Amino acid sequence: MELVSKISKGTKMDQIYLPKNRRGFGIGEYVIVKPLETRKVIEKPFFYNIKHIEPIKTDIVMEILNIINNITDRYENIIITGSFLDEGFNFNDIDIIIVTEEKLNEKYIKKSIEDTIKIKTHIIILNNKVLIEGLSIDPLYQMMLSRCITKKRFIFKVKYKINYKILDLHLLKSKLLIDNFDYLNGNEKYYLTRNMIAIFLYIHHKKVNKEIVDKEIGKLFNIRDIQEIKQNILNKDKFLKVYKKIYNNIFNKIMENIKRGAE
Amino acid sequence: MVQNRKKLIDLFIGNISNSIVHKILEKAIDNKEIVNKYIKEQNVSLEIAKRYREKINPANTILPHRDVVYIKNRIKNKVKAELTLRISKGYKNINLELVEEMVNKVLKDTTIA
Repeated sequence: MELVSKISKGTKMDQIYLPKNRRGFGIGEYVIVKPLETRKVIEKPFFYNIKHIEPIKTDIVMEILNIINNITDRYENIIITGSFLDEGFNFNDIDIIIVTEEKLNEKYIKKSIEDTIKIKTHIIILNNKVLIEGLSIDPLYQMMLSRCITKKRFIFKVKYKINYKILDLHLLKSKLLIDNFDYLNGNEKYYLTRNMIAIFLYIHHKKVNKEIVDKEIGKLFNIRDIQEIKQNILNKDKFLKVYKKIYNNIFNKIMENIKRGAE
Repeated sequence: MVQNRKKLIDLFIGNISNSIVHKILEKAIDNKEIVNKYIKEQNVSLEIAKRYREKINPANTILPHRDVVYIKNRIKNKVKAELTLRISKGYKNINLELVEEMVNKVLKDTTIA
């Protein structure tokens, strides 16, 4: 005997009413109460270049995918990326890219996710064309997407087209470190250094991903562990001397190519 | 304390100048779709400048005229220097006429002037 019933709100306790005229479910008998609707099983996401991730983060990712999926199914893929995927919990927000051709309500999606998981998110909604274009011209996009969790399989093959004007814009960001060294925290310094070195590798036609960039930072700045930057325990003079040299070197190379492109 | 305020003003100038250079260079890029979609999201200088502005007294009202003149001139010079450097290296399509207008706007937005 099975019976479908609704939980109703009571004053001291909530209850489930049983019809008086029924077969079975006699007074004094013990019964099992369980929800009729089980949580929708969502397919396993795809992990790219993630060797380790804390189980709680996987739960958060599943929750995010679930929320977006409940709001809309008009997307081609959902990509979770950024510092959230780094080991530990030292991240500012969760970067979520929704690849879609449709116009989605970004604010509503953001609010729905943040209200549930209580973590700040950064949502980027773009179409496949812009994503591929970004990947082909922007080393930072390549780096960001070299490590991600996606809802659907994510394979991309792009032709590299170096756009020096865009690289100039990206490099400009890293100039901040030179004037603000004493005022930036370790993570900000790491972010600006990583930005510059990703551009450095890219213009030398080298592969760009987080591990490669970190390794190159260690090599160029003679730093044993990247944590030295993140923990803000750098030797300022030594670090800035190398930093300025690399910055100027990249800047000049970018300018040469912009000039060549304009001629 | 006075020195500290001056340092904060200098840091504000550096970051806000960087942000204006960023905006003018955005306009010099041909691929508008790419710029609109994500380059704009990555302009961190303005956010850092705002952080410094909050620490410069008076934080909620405009600064004294003498400070405004100093800040405005320094920003204009810094932005023009950064853009002129690029023009001298062969960068085309940079509109220097935007500088004045953008500096005024940003000073207003950050309650400097």
